Amino acid sequence: MLKHLRLWLPAAALLALVASGCLLISGQFVITYTFKDHGYDPVTVNSPLSVVGVPVDLGTVSTYRDHKKELKDVSDLAVVGQVQNLDGSAPVDVEIWIVRNPGTLLTTDAAVRGAGVRVWGPLHLAAGATRTVGWDDSAKLFVGRQALIDEIKGDGRFDLYVLGSGGYHFAVTKAAIIAVIAAGK
Amino acid sequence: MKRLIALALVVLASQPVLARAGGLGVGVFGGESYPVLQDDTGNGTLVGVRVPLKLVPFVTIEPWYASSSLSDKVTSVAGLDYTRQGFDEKIYGVNAMFATGGPLSFYPIVGIGQASLKRAGYDQTLTSYNAGIGIGISPLPKFSIDLRAEAQAVVDGQTTRKFGNATAGVTYHLLGLPGLP
Repeated sequence: MLKHLRLWLPAAALLALVASGCLLISGQFVITYTFKDHGYDPVTVNSPLSVVGVPVDLGTVSTYRDHKKELKDVSDLAVVGQVQNLDGSAPVDVEIWIVRNPGTLLTTDAAVRGAGVRVWGPLHLAAGATRTVGWDDSAKLFVGRQALIDEIKGDGRFDLYVLGSGGYHFAVTKAAIIAVIAAGK
Repeated sequence: MKRLIALALVVLASQPVLARAGGLGVGVFGGESYPVLQDDTGNGTLVGVRVPLKLVPFVTIEPWYASSSLSDKVTSVAGLDYTRQGFDEKIYGVNAMFATGGPLSFYPIVGIGQASLKRAGYDQTLTSYNAGIGIGISPLPKFSIDLRAEAQAVVDGQTTRKFGNATAGVTYHLLGLPGLP
């Protein structure tokens, strides 16, 4: 009986793993959507009447394509980059908004706020300041995480806008969306 | 303090049973934890304590606690490196092991526990399963050395975060015979 236990217990543990819905063949994969690779570097916003949209299509990222069918969850999210307040006399609070159904890019702050959802920020920058937003910092600034997760789990296509409040003259360089997707068969 | 006193009383009260059945030990262990198929965290040192209780012949139950600090991961974007903090993992659980005892034993391990994974913007407590093999060597009375290799799967939604853990430990056997896992 005890001899058999040595075989049965590991087997039972394996069964428990499978029965719990946990998939043994799964992993966490980093996908990086680099703005520069799609012609959006820098993203310079001069006023609320001339905002810049970035059409995002995650289908252009090979890691995303490779795991799209087995995608179960998004376990980590960040928008990274260098943000520079080009206004030397006023601070700015920078936010990221997405419009879920991509189409003709919107050009005004009001139109984006009317059609989209805020997913990140605000990030406060003093007049003339520049800040590099890293992965850890960015992960803490998400406010609409679920909206972005839904897009990643969906068709992976949406339009992204960087909006401001206060001073409205800033630039974003070397930016990317970083997502850790959990995929399993 | 009250908990310590209660634990001491339980240990004292169970002495005759444990002595008859096999024994009780206290051990420390350390090693390395290697994430498997996880692009967003690196490997790290694992340290912990465990209390093997041999309740019936061949079967040892082992409550344990461990913590590890996994290393960071770096992603490069347009020439800039962005670092993601590795997880701080704290985990407690219980193992079941099957060994014959004696100066050299080879035993399978299975266990279940609760893992807390933390880093900036991420704080989750999740169920963890582990299974592996161990080798127990008892060079001195009351002492044993354990070498273990285990696979750990932390269930996160419909997927798991998997780790391969390699550890070495020393156990002091308070009661009963050494050579247990």
